[in-house]
Amino acid sequence: MSGGTSVGVRLASHFATVEQQKHAAVLGMWAWLLTELLLFAGLFLTALILRLTHPEAVQAAARHLKFWIGAVNTVVLIGSSLTMSGAIQLSRLGWQRGMVRFMLATAALGTLFLALKGYEYYADYHEHMMPFLSDRPYALTDSPPSRLFVNLYYVATGLHGLHLLTGIAILLAMTRQASRPGFLAAHQNRIEIFGLYWHFIDLIWIVAFPTLYVLNR
Amino acid sequence: MTSGTITDGPALRDPHTPDSRIGHGPDYLHAEHTLRSWFFTTDHKRIALLYLASITAFFVIGAVTAGLVRLALVVPDGQVFTNDTYNKLFTIHGVVMVWFFLIPSIPATFGNFLIPLMIGARDLAFPKLNLASWYVFMTGAFFTLVSVVLGGVDTGWTFYTPLSTAFSNTWVVPALIGVTIVGFSSILTGLNFVVTIHTMRAPGMTWFRLPIFVWTHYATSLIFLLATPVITVALVLLIAERAFHIGVFDPAYGGDPVLFQHLFWFYSHPAVYIMVLPGMGVISEIVPAFAQKKLFGYRFVAYAAIGLASVTFFVWGHHMFVNGQSDLASVAFSVLSFAVAVPSAVKVYNWTATIHKGSLKLDTPMLYAMGYIGLFVLGGLTGLYLATLAINQHVHATYFVVAHFHYIMVGGTVLAFLGGLHFWWPKFTGRMYIEAWGRISAVLIFIGFNVTFFPQFILGYLGMPRRYHVYPAEFQFLNILSSAGSTILAVGYIFPMIYLVYAIWFGKRAPANPWDARGLEWTVASPPPAHNFLTEPQAPKVPYDYPIQARETGRQHS
Repeated sequence: MSGGTSVGVRLASHFATVEQQKHAAVLGMWAWLLTELLLFAGLFLTALILRLTHPEAVQAAARHLKFWIGAVNTVVLIGSSLTMSGAIQLSRLGWQRGMVRFMLATAALGTLFLALKGYEYYADYHEHMMPFLSDRPYALTDSPPSRLFVNLYYVATGLHGLHLLTGIAILLAMTRQASRPGFLAAHQNRIEIFGLYWHFIDLIWIVAFPTLYVLNR
Repeated sequence: MTSGTITDGPALRDPHTPDSRIGHGPDYLHAEHTLRSWFFTTDHKRIALLYLASITAFFVIGAVTAGLVRLALVVPDGQVFTNDTYNKLFTIHGVVMVWFFLIPSIPATFGNFLIPLMIGARDLAFPKLNLASWYVFMTGAFFTLVSVVLGGVDTGWTFYTPLSTAFSNTWVVPALIGVTIVGFSSILTGLNFVVTIHTMRAPGMTWFRLPIFVWTHYATSLIFLLATPVITVALVLLIAERAFHIGVFDPAYGGDPVLFQHLFWFYSHPAVYIMVLPGMGVISEIVPAFAQKKLFGYRFVAYAAIGLASVTFFVWGHHMFVNGQSDLASVAFSVLSFAVAVPSAVKVYNWTATIHKGSLKLDTPMLYAMGYIGLFVLGGLTGLYLATLAINQHVHATYFVVAHFHYIMVGGTVLAFLGGLHFWWPKFTGRMYIEAWGRISAVLIFIGFNVTFFPQFILGYLGMPRRYHVYPAEFQFLNILSSAGSTILAVGYIFPMIYLVYAIWFGKRAPANPWDARGLEWTVASPPPAHNFLTEPQAPKVPYDYPIQARETGRQHS
């Protein structure tokens, strides 16, 4: 592993100091994450209300969710947060190549999550648990609220998957930038800011998993 | 500062602000001339003008559809348009005016242009994000216009279920996609403002030296951040419901149509304050400048902005008094809605106290500001009627509600928008408009507005429901009066579009501070240099340091 290079942030012309620029970037990402939290909160709230009004139907539907895939995915995402933290730590030390490796590992774990999620969707499709497909009769026809729960499950996990996909895309783009020397000397805070986003997607899943899977077992 | 003495105004004024244009680089309008330099600009001032042009176009669409609605209501038998056409007209009017004019109107134009100038910054914190927000806005606008061109939407601007999900045969999904996307432009603008106000203030520009305009935009931005995501998820669910029948708003699947109303109003009531608070900021700048008097009760006006932005999150249920929600909830929402009157009144009293014994100049911006104060009081007081459970039963979904919110939205926000436009037009363009024309249209708009909307209070009280174009013949006189008023209003809107644009090329050159106003934006040239401040801006020790200062009883604020 190469030794530490200089670490820093290049000052954009409209800021007075680097400190101000870093403060603005961190605050900006937190403000964005706040909006994301409220976005998902509306969705989870809707799912919880359904759980309260139709407990049996929700449980019947949740029995078809692949609990163990969800559990493994939780571990995978927490692992990706760990590698992300590693990348941030190395970026602070100026170890650019090591940081890139940890970023690639993070992207790989994110992709593994999506692959497992894809397999879970495929199994759902196989079990006729995709009620929004008109050409595929739904398995639990006698329980309309269960159909709604399954649909909400797709909206919530789909939206989360979209965020993860965006995260992986940004991560890979940034890995490309960071493969050239001098990245950390000019843009160290990009990795810190992105780290906030990545941890947040992880956190959303950590709320989604109990709300959709654990609570209804 | 010897506050307490009333000093003679004109003696302290310095009309000879040096013209900082001389000997320096070109201003932001003349820095570059290519089309590319406009559409890929990251200058907050140019982005503000991009927004101004776009929302003016939407205002025209919204106003024309409103005119057609008023045309249809001249006759009681609904013979002017078919029912479907009428429904589409008022829907397009509502959707365009609320989402594509009122919500972005003041923040995205004046806020964008002025916040960095007022706090002494070179730009917003995220200039590229600022430009992106305009493109996001235009993308949302594109989808909504597509739905209009394909044949329109007939659900009303509220998109209530089950009409929007199961019964409407119009282009609901493109319109919903458009409104969802536009929400992201609001979020990005709000995020940019919050971060900018927190981190980009010039040295010495403490929170309590900020102009109230900045305070109200801060409060607005918090609502952008906290409320908009909720409408986004509500609209995403609505799109999924309409496109895939997921069942979330359908009782047959355990869903609940009223849930949509909860999610919708959780955003859309705070959105009223997204539309109102920036206008309050504009009025708080205009009134002290044209009274040449320090804003009365600065801290109270600032706190009232934050108070309104807070209380507004807990009153959404007052839109749902008759939909079967529990009586207890209705009582709670009613009481909380009354509480909104307190910070609103604080603002009105403080503006009035600022005018009191000021050295008044009734120039165009001040005429709009005074119109605003009067109409906002009427709109606000009728809001108390509507918050009263018993009266609400009587006037729910009648023209009384229509009149109430037009008093707030047009009498309030649009007048503040026009007042601000005239106040800062010299700063935006470097040119003065013809004052006489400004005063004439301000008076025309005030008269036209009241003739249009006051009869609607009476119509609503007598029982004319909103969104119908067939009505009993005895309502015809008041409806004709209202429609006649709207033609006066239209003339009042057309005049500024002509003389303001005329002024860009043929107006007299504006000095840096044509109104002898306080605030950092008046210390730079008109139009401002591309990078705002040529020298380090000096934050004033006291905000609104006008010659006349009234005694405020109690302890003194520094």
